[in-house]
Amino acid sequence: MISHRDNNTQRIAALDERAEALKLKRGMGIADARAMHPSIDVVEADAEADRRLLEGLADWCDRYTPLVAIDGEDGLFLDVTGCTHLFGGERAMQDEILTRFFQQGFDVRAGLASTPGAAWAAARFHGDCIVAGGEEEALLSPLPLSALRIAPETRTGLESVGLRTAGAVMAAPRAPLARRFGATLLLRLDQALGRLDEAVSPRLPVAPLSVERHLAEPIVLTDDIERLVSRLAIALKTDLERRGEGARTLALLLFRVDGAVSRIAVGTSRPMREPRLIQRLFHERLTALEQTIDAGFGFDLVRLSVLSVAAFDLAQGDLTGEVADDDADIALFADRVRARLGEAAVLKPLIVESHLPERAVKTVPFAEAPQRRAPAAGRAVAPRTAPPMTVYPPERPVRLFRSPEPIEVPATEIPEGPPMNFRWRRALYRVARAEGPERIAAEWWRQLPGEEEAPTRDYYRIEDSEGRRYWLYRQGLYGSAPRAAPPRWFMHGVFA
Amino acid sequence: MLPEVNVMAMSAVARDTIFALRRQIAKIEGTLPERLQAPAPGAPGAIPGKVRSGFPSGIAENQISNNAGGTDMTLVRRGLAVASADAFLHTGIERLDTALGGGLPKAALSEIHGLETRDAGAVAGFALSLVSLILKEKQGLPVLWVGTAEIFHEAGLPYAKGLHALFGIEPEQLLFSETPKLLDALWIAEEAARMTAFAAVILEIRGSPQRLDLTATRRLHARAQSANRPVLLLRQAGAADPTAAPVRLVVSAAPSASRETVAGPLAGSIGRPAFTVDIGKSRTALPGQFTLEWNPDEHAFAERTENSVAVVPTSQRGADPAPASGAVLAFPAVASSASGDQPSRQQHPAHRSPRRAG
Repeated sequence: MISHRDNNTQRIAALDERAEALKLKRGMGIADARAMHPSIDVVEADAEADRRLLEGLADWCDRYTPLVAIDGEDGLFLDVTGCTHLFGGERAMQDEILTRFFQQGFDVRAGLASTPGAAWAAARFHGDCIVAGGEEEALLSPLPLSALRIAPETRTGLESVGLRTAGAVMAAPRAPLARRFGATLLLRLDQALGRLDEAVSPRLPVAPLSVERHLAEPIVLTDDIERLVSRLAIALKTDLERRGEGARTLALLLFRVDGAVSRIAVGTSRPMREPRLIQRLFHERLTALEQTIDAGFGFDLVRLSVLSVAAFDLAQGDLTGEVADDDADIALFADRVRARLGEAAVLKPLIVESHLPERAVKTVPFAEAPQRRAPAAGRAVAPRTAPPMTVYPPERPVRLFRSPEPIEVPATEIPEGPPMNFRWRRALYRVARAEGPERIAAEWWRQLPGEEEAPTRDYYRIEDSEGRRYWLYRQGLYGSAPRAAPPRWFMHGVFA
Repeated sequence: MLPEVNVMAMSAVARDTIFALRRQIAKIEGTLPERLQAPAPGAPGAIPGKVRSGFPSGIAENQISNNAGGTDMTLVRRGLAVASADAFLHTGIERLDTALGGGLPKAALSEIHGLETRDAGAVAGFALSLVSLILKEKQGLPVLWVGTAEIFHEAGLPYAKGLHALFGIEPEQLLFSETPKLLDALWIAEEAARMTAFAAVILEIRGSPQRLDLTATRRLHARAQSANRPVLLLRQAGAADPTAAPVRLVVSAAPSASRETVAGPLAGSIGRPAFTVDIGKSRTALPGQFTLEWNPDEHAFAERTENSVAVVPTSQRGADPAPASGAVLAFPAVASSASGDQPSRQQHPAHRSPRRAG
């Protein structure tokens, strides 16, 4: 028996058959139940766990249709339009779903109808029935008002005026109903009867393309999965070719016999349709996930879906049939590394217009970086001739620290000058030569109105007594304000 | 590391010992190179003949029958010893090229060491200048820089803007890869080393991890050989562990020369990047220390023979023995204000006081 707290009282939220046999009911206070039967076992409800379980079941139901939606706390909508013939018709499909759920240990009620509203009512008030198109009215008429999916206040209102069944509401004139109880009631009624369309919004985006294979004998080994992936990818290729597209995101869904579903996604940095490459990407991903995927008793359904597509540019090969494309190699390499080690494993620097050194170069994941135009093979690239420089750009270090590291500067020769020595990471450095300063002001256009202006930075190139060259800066100015904090020094980079 | 041996001047026994040792070393390293004194072209008895060309980069094997010493002796030369000149990257410094036996091998793993993490700038700069030389031949190809999160945190990320100005490497040519684990970094480097789409692969690692052993370097070296692409292994603050790389260079920063102006050198300014390069290991086993200066305009090295800076400051700790290439702490404690070893004010060299330029 499961209890939950409602209005400061512990009440029974759910109970099993043996508890029902003891004449206990849902909604009864736990204190009352204990008084009747002191030996009952009460467990606190865990809404989070219930939700997780429901989502797991929704994942599992993906095997019947890609359009699965979660309904409230205890229901699932499956839009099986166009899917029933795959399972031998509506009746056979519903039976299979119920049987499988029963074998997994769930007590499930199902209803199948041509509108979500009617199916909802059929599942909750009828149980295991199939409503043919046009028979919704006959199904709903004898049912109580709660079968209409309306708010409890509306229901009490309707009951207080003597409309106790859905049929009574249907027979009542519409205009007064709408005036008194709002448009929602009529909307629900029309949706249940099929006069208005109701869309079930699926919890996952529907893949444009997917191929799957049901297996009579569940598979366990990673090698078998990979082999299956390449078979599915071959099937996928013809579809992609017909559409003139390539896959950008692919997902592999592994349905375990006992209901758990593993979803493995890989992204590509350029559209892809070659089965061999798809298999290599999944190979890396599966290798990385080897510890986390639990095959259990095996997977009996494997589905490969294309989650997003992009136009595929065909490359013209030469007479030998080989397309020498270095960029494609690099894209594949980056995708494989990404599949194995995550999104940020391969980064590309991107120059951004900014004065602040740390902002001037942004690193973005390879897949998001703008693609480089490859020079045509066989043609020598003319060396880039830079325009003659009139103003030499200030020198920039070879390495830049992620965040400037504070250093201790005991003394400078003149207040605004470079340090004579400094302490960085607990070691003392003696400054032999210094160049600078190069003043870089904060970007005022970024600061919010009313915010204090960020202090300027004075950058110095420093060479220490052993010949190493550093890039230091002083943040703030000496004596700028009477009570201002003294300027601080930071190490920002190292030169070659 | 092999001693420099004059084969002709040695007794037969000693020579045999050396040969046996070399063969053993080569076997451990996974290659079978025998670097002997190259016979003069057209020398009597030397019959160069190509036996098998198992190396894609023009590295061939020769079998030379040597009759010069009066005794019949057959030397089998393999690997880079008889490689064509094309297999080497010429640094532009003749002395360094000779000491390396022709230059830095292009299709190989090369190790570049920095003794301390604070040398990371110099090590990265030297590696990038080599990459810049490589890119002169392979224009437009990208460069992959793989590093562990540790080294990028400790020594900073390579800064694309600075690289472009100094070495002419375009930002879109650069790819970075950062992984928290060394094993993943090695995997990425191995996968990248077998691709021909990269101009060079740089793998940067801090310290002396156990995973980076002979086997790991051998794998990298083998892949670099078969793809005919260089792999540079930058090791910051690492010990001189056994490695399969044919070349190991130890790089540290050197005081730079002053900037050249029309009116002569500008006093107190910091000029072009300069490096001190020690050869830690090479096929010829010639020792050598070189002070190189990188010319960012022409993208070429220049050797500095005499120190154009006034003086290199003497060591703070007096006569300090060269630090052992091994257990080097990241940040050795600097002798603080121990009065004994501080030179008095009068003794301070003039250059040591900070000056501002411009």
